Amino acid sequence: MKQIYFDNCLTSQPAPEVLDSMMPYFKENFYFPRSFVSGGSRISSDLEKFKKIIADSMGADSSEIHFTTGGTSANNIAIKGYLSANAGKGTHVILSVIDYPDLLANAAFFEQSGFRVTYINADKEGFIDLDELKSSIRSDTIMFMTTLANHVVGTVQPIKEIRQILDSADHKIVMHVDACEAYARLPINVKELGIDLMSISAHKIHGPQGVGALYQRKGIILGPVKHGVSRIDTLETGGVSIASIAGFAKAVELIFNHFNEYNKKIKELRDYLLKEIEEKIPYTLLNGSQEEKRAPHNLNISFDYIEGEAIMMMLDLSGISVATGSACASQGLKPNYVLMALGRNHEQSHGSMKFTLSRYNTKKEIDYTVKKLAEIVKELRSRSPLYNKE
Amino acid sequence: MQYSQKVLDHFMKPHNVGKIENPDAMATEGSPACGDQVSIYLKVKPETLVIEDIKFQSYGCASNIATASIITDMAKGKTLEQANKITWKEAAEALDGLPPVKMHCSVLAVDTLRKAIYDYEIKHNLVEKKKFNKELIIEELKKVIYPKVGEDIVTLKMVKYVGFENGVATIDIDIPSFDTHRDNIVEEVKEHLQRFKEIKDIKITI
Repeated sequence: MKQIYFDNCLTSQPAPEVLDSMMPYFKENFYFPRSFVSGGSRISSDLEKFKKIIADSMGADSSEIHFTTGGTSANNIAIKGYLSANAGKGTHVILSVIDYPDLLANAAFFEQSGFRVTYINADKEGFIDLDELKSSIRSDTIMFMTTLANHVVGTVQPIKEIRQILDSADHKIVMHVDACEAYARLPINVKELGIDLMSISAHKIHGPQGVGALYQRKGIILGPVKHGVSRIDTLETGGVSIASIAGFAKAVELIFNHFNEYNKKIKELRDYLLKEIEEKIPYTLLNGSQEEKRAPHNLNISFDYIEGEAIMMMLDLSGISVATGSACASQGLKPNYVLMALGRNHEQSHGSMKFTLSRYNTKKEIDYTVKKLAEIVKELRSRSPLYNKE
Repeated sequence: MQYSQKVLDHFMKPHNVGKIENPDAMATEGSPACGDQVSIYLKVKPETLVIEDIKFQSYGCASNIATASIITDMAKGKTLEQANKITWKEAAEALDGLPPVKMHCSVLAVDTLRKAIYDYEIKHNLVEKKKFNKELIIEELKKVIYPKVGEDIVTLKMVKYVGFENGVATIDIDIPSFDTHRDNIVEEVKEHLQRFKEIKDIKITI
């Protein structure tokens, strides 16, 4: 039986067209970009085409796009590159307690190197506290970073309002956005939103693993983070797989040719999954935003009285892949920090399941999943000392 | 990190699940906050002190359920004294091993069983009074598992000093500041030692 896959934000299945687009770059077009020689120039012009596809998808210029070895590399190049090159202007950074681990780890790194970091809070739906943001801005604040669609609950941050707040300061505050979860699922125009730096990743949108991109607005200076030879990009030194870049561009093209259709389908499936779970399984709790301000593919829901790794394992043995916020399934043995910051208790975090859908999911898969899930939840509750209801 | 087939078998079809009405003894260990909780119920034949029936309930992950299932299998039919000697390593071995990060589940299952046995012994005046000393603290620290390797912190020589004076337990643990499990270990040491009413204060240096 084919695995039913609801973990697309961990990684997603490459589209068949993506694989086809990559093959020539493993075979006859294996060159690095190089001037004056035929193979190398062909690659140079292909890379320009790919760059334009990515740039057009977010309203940027090709010259503002860097290919990287993934979303985490893009985040590191942006944050380390900006803070190291601009420390003379100030040493204060703002982000939130629910941001993606890349942003939190980089902030902690700079905190150890003498920067001041303010971690602002989020409300119970996962929106960052804008009043706290306003009051956190100081004369030496040089950067604000955020996760556009939260990686756990999918809450979409109000970037336009944030930009206005940052612009109310009497000096420039650069905004870095981790859009790995949001990109290709929500319309993003970097110019309209006032984003200065933005990272995206291919493997979460049916592209290949090991490739991403960084948008660097013209005029924003980044210091070198990775020193060495530039083959493909000045910031991501060394090689980035050209086959992967080709696959990334194809994945983007495939989505943006049907952007509304695909994301409408994904949202409808997600809403159907939520409705079915709420109807068929008692004692559940939706985590994150109830409103429209939630990425279309994300559903995060807690099941009372039971623990998420057990649910995940049983679903897996039934051929269904999902993620959980339980401490038992995490390397650090800690409950999910985002859910805890949103005011959920330990039990609700341990019992949380995250479904991230894609255009390849079907209604039939959801029906099967909810049927299995109802059986599993019933079985695990019957074993639980916390469950006393018949 | 993968579970053995035996863990999966016991997880999917656990033995001895449920509650015994009017048990002769019972114990609950762990808490939902820690992500795992196990209750064990015993029926004991008073003449022979043999465990005639044993059942468990679990709020926890796959290995939590599997270790509770295997430990109840191992204890059934044994005398209280024999059952008390089952170690968490034996329970883990009976499951063809556990991933290192899951070894603490085995410790929890064994702990719950021993506490249920203790509950029976208390009720029937079978307990020998032990004088509380630092050796008992060291024994308790052997239940704190370092998740990266699945071995306890005493065996791994991470515990550099243990002292106990005037109700204050002083523990010196060697764990680097960049270790991602550092907070977990400290929390777990505290959790284990807080169970002793003899310990009024815990001082941990890392």
